[in-house]
Amino acid sequence: MSAVEVHQFAQCITCHAWSPDRTMIALCPNNSEVHIYKFATDKWDRAHVLYKHDQIVSGIDWGLTSNKIVTASHDRNSYVWNQEGSEWMPTLVILRLNRAALCVQWSPKENKFAVGSGAKIVCICYYEPENNWWVSKLIRKRHDSSVTGVAWHPDNILLATTSTDGKCRVFSTFIKGVDTKDSGTSSSRDLKFGEQIVQLDLSSSWSFGVKWSPSGNILAYAGHNSTIYFVEDVCNSPFQQNVAYRNLPLRDVLFVSERMVIGAGFDCTPMVFTKDETGLWSFVKILEGKKTAQPNLKYGSQFSEAFGKLYGQSKNDGVDPLKSRGGAHENTITCIAPLRKEGDTIVRRFSTSGLDGKVVIWELDEKTEIPQ
Amino acid sequence: MAAAEENIEAMILRIEHKSKKIENLLKQSKPVEALQKALEGSPTNTRDQRCKSANWIVVHRAMMAIRDVDGMFSSLDPEYYDILMKYLYRGLATGDRPTCDQCLRIHEKLTEKAGLGCILRSLAETVNTV
Repeated sequence: MSAVEVHQFAQCITCHAWSPDRTMIALCPNNSEVHIYKFATDKWDRAHVLYKHDQIVSGIDWGLTSNKIVTASHDRNSYVWNQEGSEWMPTLVILRLNRAALCVQWSPKENKFAVGSGAKIVCICYYEPENNWWVSKLIRKRHDSSVTGVAWHPDNILLATTSTDGKCRVFSTFIKGVDTKDSGTSSSRDLKFGEQIVQLDLSSSWSFGVKWSPSGNILAYAGHNSTIYFVEDVCNSPFQQNVAYRNLPLRDVLFVSERMVIGAGFDCTPMVFTKDETGLWSFVKILEGKKTAQPNLKYGSQFSEAFGKLYGQSKNDGVDPLKSRGGAHENTITCIAPLRKEGDTIVRRFSTSGLDGKVVIWELDEKTEIPQ
Repeated sequence: MAAAEENIEAMILRIEHKSKKIENLLKQSKPVEALQKALEGSPTNTRDQRCKSANWIVVHRAMMAIRDVDGMFSSLDPEYYDILMKYLYRGLATGDRPTCDQCLRIHEKLTEKAGLGCILRSLAETVNTV
């Protein structure tokens, strides 16, 4: 398990997203532009720059089937970009927000996208073919503070949100005409748009980075109090587990498989959490940050090096906290994205981007057993 | 609410009982057990300041009696690390020189043992305070 590639794209990266064939990456270099880089033989070329937003682009998502890019920015707007030939054409989406948009994600079917904002509102946007524009429906209720993260359940209807009021909520985003009622899923009572299914009040501090597991059975989110929360069977009988770890808080999490989660945040290296056979989630280890020449390094040396760094760190923290810790990232990791090949059920490669302007690609090699 | 107040009175009684047991343990030169006993059952989920102050006095008494900080960590149960960190910050807030000295001594070792996450949890905790 190691960092296989380290790329420096800018001084600071706000967020990033990969193209469906994983050859292009869209990222925001901490300004109002979106840069799209294409990998050509051995280096990255800046293929496109999308200029439309007036302020920092806080969220980018690239639809894997539709090849559309959606961006959300602090300027309270969102654009959907369609690739026409060699150009990306923007379509403005009027979100009706009076505060910054903070995060955005396409739904699994990519017919809707959700935007979380500082206005304590979540916007669900869908395409209306008659008028050829994107309409936004707002979930105004429930949130007491900024919505920091949104995550779609695989059924394309349930949406989980995290907020700086410390709570994680699940809403129904059923829209007549866009979604079809599936008789197998939850009762019709819950299908009303904007209906809150459950509110999880597990963290007394800000929460970030919510994600559903691949089956949609487990919800994971990170609290700013150095704890990660796992909730199973959210809609019917929520069963929660808090895992408190010794490092600095996480900002984003990723489900690699049904039983393994990677978290990344202020400690600048990804952390691995797994669920064992008894159903208990626990912290396993920190991923080795050094770039290795051969990806298949022996387990033993990687582990002891990582642990040596962990225990040696606290003594050195007071001396020079800004000194590079020798890991791949030198500053907080804010975004983690999967690099899933077609047909893969588990994620073996993922990328992290952070405030140091680097995008690091990590690979869990074949020797690593990923519990499923 | 009558029910809540009854609970608070019961809690204060419990803390007083704890205090007697802790005095005994300290007389038997078992400061680590005394501290663990003091940290057990801390009134974090109430808003009553009297309870919290009463428990703080007990924890403070046990904490000041500790001489060997490294030895303490070899026998203190890790589930008490988070609550101990909260009390260390309460101690540091008093400004009293001997208390702060002891708190800093313990804080250094506790951070090594429990990591920065422990500090974060005590800072971020606005609801279950000590």
